[in-house]
Amino acid sequence: MRETVKLISMEGFEFVIDREAAMVSQTIRSMLTSPGGFSESKDGVVTFPDISTTILEKICQYFYWSLQYSRGKETEFQIEPELTLELMMAANYLHT
Amino acid sequence: MIRRLMILGYFIMGGACSRKRDQQVEDILNRGVSGKYSKSSSSKWLATSLSRSGSDVKRRNGERPSLLELCVRKIHEDIDRYTTFSDLPRDISQQIFDELVYSQRLNLKSLEAFRDCAIHDLNLGEYPGVNDEWMDVISSQSTSLLSVDFSGSDITDSGLVSLRGCKNLESLNFNFCDQISNRGLEHLSGLSNLTSLSFRRNGAITAQGMRAFSGLVNMKKLDLEKCPGIHGGLVHLRDLTKLESLNIKWCNCITDADMEPISELKNLRSLQICCSRITDYGISYLKGLNKLNLLNLEGCRHVTAACLDTLTGLMFLNLNRCNFSDSGCEKFSGECYLASSQLKVMALLCGKLCGFNQFKDLKLGNEQHYKFMLGLTKLESLNLDSCRIGDEGLVHLSGMLGLKSLELSDTEVGSHGLRHLSGLSNLESINLSFTVVTDSGLRKLSGLTSLRTLNLDARHVTDAGLSALTSLTGLTHLDLFGARITDSGTNYLRNLKKLESLEICGGGLTDAGVKNIKDLSSLTLLNLSQNSNLTDKTLELISGLTGLVSLNVSNSRVSNSGLRHLKPLKNLRSLTLESCKVSANDIRKLQATDLPNLVNFRPE
Repeated sequence: MRETVKLISMEGFEFVIDREAAMVSQTIRSMLTSPGGFSESKDGVVTFPDISTTILEKICQYFYWSLQYSRGKETEFQIEPELTLELMMAANYLHT
Repeated sequence: MIRRLMILGYFIMGGACSRKRDQQVEDILNRGVSGKYSKSSSSKWLATSLSRSGSDVKRRNGERPSLLELCVRKIHEDIDRYTTFSDLPRDISQQIFDELVYSQRLNLKSLEAFRDCAIHDLNLGEYPGVNDEWMDVISSQSTSLLSVDFSGSDITDSGLVSLRGCKNLESLNFNFCDQISNRGLEHLSGLSNLTSLSFRRNGAITAQGMRAFSGLVNMKKLDLEKCPGIHGGLVHLRDLTKLESLNIKWCNCITDADMEPISELKNLRSLQICCSRITDYGISYLKGLNKLNLLNLEGCRHVTAACLDTLTGLMFLNLNRCNFSDSGCEKFSGECYLASSQLKVMALLCGKLCGFNQFKDLKLGNEQHYKFMLGLTKLESLNLDSCRIGDEGLVHLSGMLGLKSLELSDTEVGSHGLRHLSGLSNLESINLSFTVVTDSGLRKLSGLTSLRTLNLDARHVTDAGLSALTSLTGLTHLDLFGARITDSGTNYLRNLKKLESLEICGGGLTDAGVKNIKDLSSLTLLNLSQNSNLTDKTLELISGLTGLVSLNVSNSRVSNSGLRHLKPLKNLRSLTLESCKVSANDIRKLQATDLPNLVNFRPE
């Protein structure tokens, strides 16, 4: 079975995605892999109290797009103009 | 002489060839210091934006773009939607700003969104349209602002008033700002955190205005190149004891008296005084500057070898066009220097300079003094451009095993002499343009596998010569501009997979030859101009070279209908198709629909 992780938004909405996809984010990667320290690395659950559901969904889409891209499927990633600024701050936080 | 011919050639060839020589001549001394490879191009803007875009091009080649990058791109696509970025973290607004500058989408209106963003660096050098109206938003960055590049802008003296509050400014660049004068300098006098200040080519600055510099005690780097009015003003630098680099070259007004205050600047490491009126007496003021390691005296016609014995710490020295000619020997002071026979003078020079065996970079314009170089075993860079050195002279270089860069352009070097270079296995760059080197000589270079840059812009080089280059698989830059290369010659280039720039403009190439180039996927610059038989087929063949940033196929049979093949070249920033059946309008259409990065094209 493929390993999954759970990402929880500000509003409490849960996104269950492949661990591999979540690891696209440097921040999540270090949370999930650092030994001992983070409880996230044991439970595979990461909560983002500052990221809204809409933005977190977009970010998950990006994770999967990014995986495809590195496998050679170079499509365009659509970003709605009204999300851009908020998405950007989240991307900055997630090192993504 | 040759330079004038080059300019003539420029017109004859319909302006299609932009040569890099002027820049090379200018930069050669700095190369060892900055280490920056600068490739010339027809527009200043392109040159700066190309060097800016290094990371950009890379990330678009294979590397997946980060979400942050995608967002930044999205923002500059519809920049008009945004009225302020001041809620964003500083590093993000900085990225958006840099991207807008890079893509030339920043204007007075979009600048407004950056008010109070606490941005650190505003790199607006050579950016079109920058004037005093921009200062309001620029100065709103207030104490966050660390550096601004205003070079080439229309900023005036009164525009500088608003910088007074930006107390933390460390670096300011006003090169080519011809509306700034002494009055403007006054406004900078309180910016005591400045460590770097540049005012290249300013005719209005005089000694009086330079008074404003006297309190800038943290200054490390001051650049007043081509400021002809500054004579007498260096006294105001006396207290800038942290100064490490002073550039006053091509001011044409610097005299011995100006050198006196420099003697106090004990931390000076780099001093450039080209084309001044100083004499050996003026140089004697530098005696106590123990940290001085770069001295550029090019064109100081009153400076002789007599001044060199006091400067023992030098690593970089440019004595091009100084008074080292035979007739100048009579002016050397002291009895030793009165030697009449040239041999003695050379021996003397040898003796003087052998002490400087830590030299790393040396530029000599003066023909017959190469013998003393025997002692310079640590030399890494040698420029003998236009010197009267021939095949036999090269034997003196055979022991310079540390040599990385060798400039032999415009010399009498031919094939016979190249064997003396076979052992210089550290060579990374050789320029043999305008020499009489032939195909047979190139075989002597085939073992120099460290070579990265090779300039064979010489008419005696033909297809056969290229067969010797197949082992040089590390080559990144190959210039065959005027070499007589035909289709069969390009066979030998197929394995040079690392080539980033290639120029073949000898006229003998057809579409068949371009087939051998089409898989050199590292290419960012390709110049195939002057090959009048190239057709639209060529454009089709190179359409897979998606890394191309600059393309020139001027003076060919390329036509409007071939332009569609360029659509995949998304990184293209410069496209030159002069004297082809191509209209500016069609290029503009292509730019609008498919080539968003194109900033420079001909015809325009």
